[in-house]
Amino acid sequence: MSSSSNSDIRRWYVIAAPYLWLLIFFLVPFFIVFKLSLSDVATAIPPYTPTFSWSIADFVSKLDFENYTFIFGDPLYVNAYLSSLKIAGISTFLTLLVAYPMAYGMARAPKGWQPTLMMLVILPFWTSFLIRIYAWIAILKPEGFLTMFLMKLGLITEPLQIMNSTTAVYIGIVYSYLPFMILPLYASLEKINPALLEAAQDLGSRPWRAFWQVTFPLSLPGVFAGCLLVFIPAVGEFVIPDLLGGSETLMIGKTLWTEFFNNRDWPLASAVAVLLLLVLIIPIVLFQRQQQLEREAGR
Amino acid sequence: MSVATARDPQVKPASPQRAGPRTAAPQSGFAPWKDPAKEPFVRFENITKRFDDFVAVKNVTLDIYEREFFALLGPSGCGKSTLLRMLAGFERPTEGRTIVAGQDITALPPYERPVNMMFQSYALFPHMTVEANIGFGLRQEGMAKDKIADRVDEAMAMLELGQFAKRKPHQLSGGQQQRVALARAIAKKPRLVLLDEPLGALDKKLRQQAQFELMRIQETTGTTFIIVTHDQEEAMTVASRIAVMDKGDLVQVATPGEIYENPKTRYIAGFIGDVNAFEGKVSAASEGCIEIDANDGYKFKTRSTEPVTVGQQAWLALRPEKIRISHDQPVSAVNAISGKVEDIGYLGSISHYHVRTAAGERVTALRANAAHTVERTISWDDNVWLDWPVDAGVVLTR
Amino acid sequence: MRGRFSWFNATSILIGFAFLYIPILLLVIYSFNVSKLVTVWGGFSTKWYGSLLENQALKDAAWVTIRVAILSATVATILGTLAAIALVRLNRFRGRTLFSGMIFAPLVMPEVIIGLSLLLLFVAMGLDRGFWTITIAHITFTMCYAAVVVQARLADFDKSVEEAAMDLGATPVNTFFQVTLPIIAPSVISAWLLSFTLSLDDLVIASFATGPGATTLPMKIYSQVRLGVTPEINAISTLMIGVVTLGVLAAAYFTKKSSEREDKERRKAFGAAG
Repeated sequence: MSSSSNSDIRRWYVIAAPYLWLLIFFLVPFFIVFKLSLSDVATAIPPYTPTFSWSIADFVSKLDFENYTFIFGDPLYVNAYLSSLKIAGISTFLTLLVAYPMAYGMARAPKGWQPTLMMLVILPFWTSFLIRIYAWIAILKPEGFLTMFLMKLGLITEPLQIMNSTTAVYIGIVYSYLPFMILPLYASLEKINPALLEAAQDLGSRPWRAFWQVTFPLSLPGVFAGCLLVFIPAVGEFVIPDLLGGSETLMIGKTLWTEFFNNRDWPLASAVAVLLLLVLIIPIVLFQRQQQLEREAGR
Repeated sequence: MSVATARDPQVKPASPQRAGPRTAAPQSGFAPWKDPAKEPFVRFENITKRFDDFVAVKNVTLDIYEREFFALLGPSGCGKSTLLRMLAGFERPTEGRTIVAGQDITALPPYERPVNMMFQSYALFPHMTVEANIGFGLRQEGMAKDKIADRVDEAMAMLELGQFAKRKPHQLSGGQQQRVALARAIAKKPRLVLLDEPLGALDKKLRQQAQFELMRIQETTGTTFIIVTHDQEEAMTVASRIAVMDKGDLVQVATPGEIYENPKTRYIAGFIGDVNAFEGKVSAASEGCIEIDANDGYKFKTRSTEPVTVGQQAWLALRPEKIRISHDQPVSAVNAISGKVEDIGYLGSISHYHVRTAAGERVTALRANAAHTVERTISWDDNVWLDWPVDAGVVLTR
Repeated sequence: MRGRFSWFNATSILIGFAFLYIPILLLVIYSFNVSKLVTVWGGFSTKWYGSLLENQALKDAAWVTIRVAILSATVATILGTLAAIALVRLNRFRGRTLFSGMIFAPLVMPEVIIGLSLLLLFVAMGLDRGFWTITIAHITFTMCYAAVVVQARLADFDKSVEEAAMDLGATPVNTFFQVTLPIIAPSVISAWLLSFTLSLDDLVIASFATGPGATTLPMKIYSQVRLGVTPEINAISTLMIGVVTLGVLAAAYFTKKSSEREDKERRKAFGAAG
């Protein structure tokens, strides 16, 4: 589009609607959350004391960091954050382990198969997240499919106690987020010129070494993107720990939900959310920058 | 006494024979740029284009006249495409004005300009048929449906596209797509058509045919064409005048003949065709003749009106086909040097002889193989003489 | 990257897909189980599908869910397409970094944060929570997915086609509707489908943004799941999976068919030369 002055006005027609929408419904709410985290709880509806007064002094004096000091003081919360990071980190790594061979196989598959394979990977993603987790309940229950199957094979004699444990949460996260890891990996691997591997082998490198020295490093952008796409939402995951996890599975998403819906302490929940966001800021910014670089490199 | 293979006909290296009576200009007398009473049809006035700190076009002023087939020629990055796009309206000049038919169009958006463009990538609308593509511009004007159909038929007939009318672009070959792109650009009967490297994607044979087709259409419709190309042969074939650009500057604007025979700088001399350049200092300049003492010891005399001062550094630029090559020493030649044949490039119709002079320089001479024989008259390691008359070369000072 | 498709490759793909699909297959198979105990096969029966039709609460929830999904997908696609155009075509404008940050952030942000913040906004604005707030919430987060899908297509798109349209006299608006939109139409449709599915499946954000009288299907399913596994849930899950699968297969089939046809025609054209 030409860069004349009256097209500046036209530009704004295009940007205005989505920009305003996101400002109002995405950005402003974050400020409200932050503001609320500095407020006190009340038993009225809504359950917080509205502190929208126009006097600055009045406004500032009503704010306090009570919620934050409470959170930092209570080991439950600190552990929940740390545990979430740990669980998300381990899950991300496990997802990578499962996804990489699949993505690698897909990249090497005959060209005619690739669209079909892609579609088969994406298809579960389109079906409901909730439903797929629900499917695992039936499998992991003590009387569930997995136990029955292993018992039939004679591998175990007692029912498995995977359900309602952190292990089940790992399985759940890996299962749900697998497409998010496979797709960027596949995109990266697919781009690699097969001649590079041939050159490495021609120069004397065995297949396994060629993989580590050539293929894997070249697939790193995909690894990076996939890990971020899994890790960041996994930290704040709620449904999986709620349905598959046990009482010892501490995840901050569950804590936030409980604080909000069960204890009705909105200001505290807001503070939990703000801290969660702060924890995730760095990975989110990393993700944005990597996306930006990818797009610019593609141009 | 001249040797049998005396002054060979002027042969432009590897250039196609001009077919038929058609040349670039409608009549051989077509030269509106020489007429002081004529107003230019397109004028670039002090155009400069900056992208951040990169200057793509540096203060270019250029006049183009109606019914010209004008070529902007230069290597990639010289600014020719930027200049064209400013005329089409896709870039705004940082400074300067563009004027078409007396109207200042600098501030007009592309859809309000009386100009149509043929794109390098053809840019055909993939979701529309050939007919719909060609008629697109007419529909924007709000022309009546039946009138549009007539115009589209006319354009398709001119470019022999009738049988493809209902096809979509992906069902056409490269050459067919190129004709559709051209048909679309002329459907609105604009007075000015811009072509951005239109033939780059075609293979050599197709390209030559397409060049003549472009010339035919330009002449039949009486439109002014401005073509951007990096292919000097293409520019020489189609254009009435060529503007050579280098790194944003306009170096020379002249007819193909002028540019080839009288280049203004060594850059142009070397850019178009082959050239031998002898470096030296001016030793005398009088009565329209310049003598140069070449660095390798030779003395050359050339008819030239180039303003020079004695002692100034200058080059003698000499086209290979202007040099006579023979085993015998010329009896009364003004400019003559001797050497040994080092390489021969045999191209069937012509031969390039690369001669190493006694002073160590390499000079190229070109000769048509007029005699029907396989045996070479001049062979490797032969000692030969090269000579040329005073009006064969050009003196260049930059 | 091609190369030898080894046994290792084939096995890893097979195991991977088995892992992905076996849970779903079990779910579907056991929805036809006559026994109420989900893991004990009693015999084939469709009675649970029958009882679904009688479950008014579920049907209401489904109706709400579909209306929200259609409405939010449509608005999200429009906003997302505009956003994609802004990102790809408009190179520099004030606040571009903020804008692109706002578009990409929701893609990774935990849903609990998005849900919580939206709810607080609705309360602060004094909006009655229910159907419309869920719709607004869904529009907000799905439009980012729509933007990403359309943006990918626009980035690939040959800009000179738009320039050609403007050169021939079409204003930017006309260019968009006559040239750009028809060409990116498949992506826009994909974006709509994606937004529709995301809205259909969403549990967390809907739970935060909802109010009395507006229960979505995922919310209903969730509240029942907490109580235990029942074949009725298997049945409704199978239905939802079936609908989505048909849609995705149809889309894939049509895309494949049209690109196959184009490739064939392209080859024919080049073979015939000219």
